[in-house]
Amino acid sequence: MLEIRNLTKIYDDGTVALKNVSFTVPDGEFLVIIGLSGSGKSTLLRCINRLIDPTEGQILWNGVDLAQLEGEELRKVRRQIGMIFQHFNLVKRSSVLTNVLTGRLGYLPTWRSLTGRFPADDIQRAWQALERLGIADQAHKRADELSGGQQQRVGIARALMQDPKMILADEPVASLDPVLAHSILQRLESLNREDGITVLCSLHYLDLVQRYATRVIGLRQGELVYEGSREDIRQMTDAQFKEIYGEEAERIGAGGGITGSIQEDSVAGGAA
Amino acid sequence: MSLKHTVPEEPRAPSLVPPAVAALLSLLLPGLGQALARSLRRGLLLLFSFLTLGGLLAWRIRLAAPRDEGLVAITRKAFHLQPFLLFNAFLLLLLYLWIAWDAWQTARHAEGAPVGIFALVLIAFFAVGWQVGEIDPIRFVTQLDEAGPPLQRVLWPWERAIEHPQEVQIVSAPILSPCTGEPFEGGQPKEGEPYLLTEPTCGNPSQQDGTPGTTFTLRGFGLKPNSEAEIWWEDPIGNEFRQRQEGEYVTVQTDAQGNFEVQIVMPYRLLPPSAGEGPKIWTVEARQVVSTGQARASKELKLAVEKIIETIFIGMMATFFGILLALPVSFFAARNLMSASPFTLVIYYLTRAVLNIIRSIEPLIWAIIFVIVVGLGPFAGILALTVHSIAALGKLYSESIESIDPGPIEAIQATGANWVQTVRYAVVPQIVPPFVSFTIYRWDINIRMSTIIGFVGGGGIGFLLAQWIRLLDYRAAGIAVWFIAITVAILDYVSAEIRARFV
Ligand SMILES: Nc1ncnc2c1ncn2[C@@H]1O[C@H](COP(=O)(O)OP(=O)(O)O)[C@@H](O)[C@H]1O
Ligand SMILES: [Mg+2]
Repeated sequence: MLEIRNLTKIYDDGTVALKNVSFTVPDGEFLVIIGLSGSGKSTLLRCINRLIDPTEGQILWNGVDLAQLEGEELRKVRRQIGMIFQHFNLVKRSSVLTNVLTGRLGYLPTWRSLTGRFPADDIQRAWQALERLGIADQAHKRADELSGGQQQRVGIARALMQDPKMILADEPVASLDPVLAHSILQRLESLNREDGITVLCSLHYLDLVQRYATRVIGLRQGELVYEGSREDIRQMTDAQFKEIYGEEAERIGAGGGITGSIQEDSVAGGAA
Repeated sequence: MSLKHTVPEEPRAPSLVPPAVAALLSLLLPGLGQALARSLRRGLLLLFSFLTLGGLLAWRIRLAAPRDEGLVAITRKAFHLQPFLLFNAFLLLLLYLWIAWDAWQTARHAEGAPVGIFALVLIAFFAVGWQVGEIDPIRFVTQLDEAGPPLQRVLWPWERAIEHPQEVQIVSAPILSPCTGEPFEGGQPKEGEPYLLTEPTCGNPSQQDGTPGTTFTLRGFGLKPNSEAEIWWEDPIGNEFRQRQEGEYVTVQTDAQGNFEVQIVMPYRLLPPSAGEGPKIWTVEARQVVSTGQARASKELKLAVEKIIETIFIGMMATFFGILLALPVSFFAARNLMSASPFTLVIYYLTRAVLNIIRSIEPLIWAIIFVIVVGLGPFAGILALTVHSIAALGKLYSESIESIDPGPIEAIQATGANWVQTVRYAVVPQIVPPFVSFTIYRWDINIRMSTIIGFVGGGGIGFLLAQWIRLLDYRAAGIAVWFIAITVAILDYVSAEIRARFV
């Protein structure tokens, strides 16, 4: 269980990105974070795995306050938390396989990893991950030769290599087209359902939120302004969504209703 | 000065003076009319152009007739010596008149005036440039004849690349002087060796008063066929001298068997009293230059090989030291690494400035500086190229550091990797390919540069090349040129291959 208590982040330049945010995420949830651009979604996710140091507050994960961890202890926790990025953040010139293998770095001694040779076990695992995500045939290509959707799948494979208990996904589908968005989110959903990995994911589009979230929180200017269950969000109308979210909210399929968006999945599933 | 001129788009206010007055004023002072016609910029531009062109023309005229006095004399002499100056003067006059006409036009039309006059200004500058540059295409044609043979030698210098060791072969026969009445055994036939026979075998030298000495018939056998031989004497006290006949040295031509026959008169020779009285033995000789042994690489070829190796190593060492020093420097010159505090930012700006200054100075000039510091030789060349490489590589390296994508670094950190692993897997893959590429590019440039750095004493083949050109030894120079060309071509290929693999 992840418990965020009174989390505040003030950047060096004085920007208050998070104001006293508190919420809890039981294990196995698919928590979606919504909010306008600049509302603090990335800051929140990055505070959890400490890519950013929070200014105040606690991040309790299974009783350990992540906000207090340093060095080796922090890295041990980080390796159990996978992260997926909007721009994939792959090492472009390295091969797909190498990119996936870097997910194991937290488990390898430094000297072992310097040569660039990974243990046979890890390579085996990497192939399994690539296979599971349907990109095994791309393994030896350079990462930047892949399409956006394929690159994001490499990103997921890399996170999967960490044996994560939790995955943080920062707008994982914002740079992909709608069909690919569903395909990627379905893979996250399968990790969530089949492997029991807790997922924290920021999303922009109402229909995606309604389709995948088991719980939703809303941020506005760094403050928590909404918390809702799966049922709450499914019964929500566009007007209500806009009220919480702001005027910019939109659906991913133009004019498509909730059902419409669910039907899209089958198309996406076929394309994946 | 700049000739950039934008024609005003919107209509100007009406001229302050009527067109005719504007034209007249521009005759008084070029551009004044335009200025009063509310085209101040145009007027100033024309005035400056006119004055600059006039000044340049006056300078060239003075230069053409440096020793004359008086305006008329100088001008006449200059135009006589360099008729092209007349054309320059004509253009200036044309410009002067056109400026007046332009003033009239400008004053008359409120909208933008034509820019044709600036074409004339350009042409006038071009004509001055032609004169200053002593451009003379005709010389290209007329001097081609003379340039032909040396150029041919440069293009195909290989005769000079091999040489045959040569030595002077001497075939001699003794001569008794004066005759004693008893028979004297002169030259004798020898089996398997060249020999010389004389007829007679004794005689008298010519006298100081001009009385000719004994005429000998000299016959040589078995010498080098179809080649020249010189006739020499060795007098009884061991002095050697060449046979002259009517003031010319005697040279004979051997036939296909290596035989010759020639009539010579025994020359005059003043012998010191210490030589003593009585008959003495002289020696007559036929001397030939013959090659012995195998052909071998010439001295020039060996030198060229040595120096091209030196050249390549100058380039290599300079690249090596350049990389070594540019690496740390590039970190100080990378903005993304140095923008953390004002202090580091100052270091960043300083490093950048120094690199830019160093880079703007040509390697050849660095070579001159280092020749002064460490003396002639390859070390000066290495230092010069190293300094330039540090600056050039430092800039390129720092730019590739600046363009590192922070995304993968963040992603690798998020997997729980430590600092070393993050550098190894997120930073190194991003900077190694561009570093390798830039380094090979630099290596390429350095070896090219090291071929000419020798012109100013920086070691390498350039030094030889400059020396051979100065000695007019075009064949040897040709060897050096060929070596340079071959080296650069090979290098081009190799570096292109390596770069294609890495990037
Ligand atoms: N490194 C930073 N330094 C200063 N301000 C930042 C930094 N990163 C983000 N911010 C600011 O913090 C606020 C929240 O940003 P972010 O967490 O990126 O929002 P979101 O991901 O929801 O778009 C924004 O106002 C943003 O400008
Ligand atoms: Mg964001």
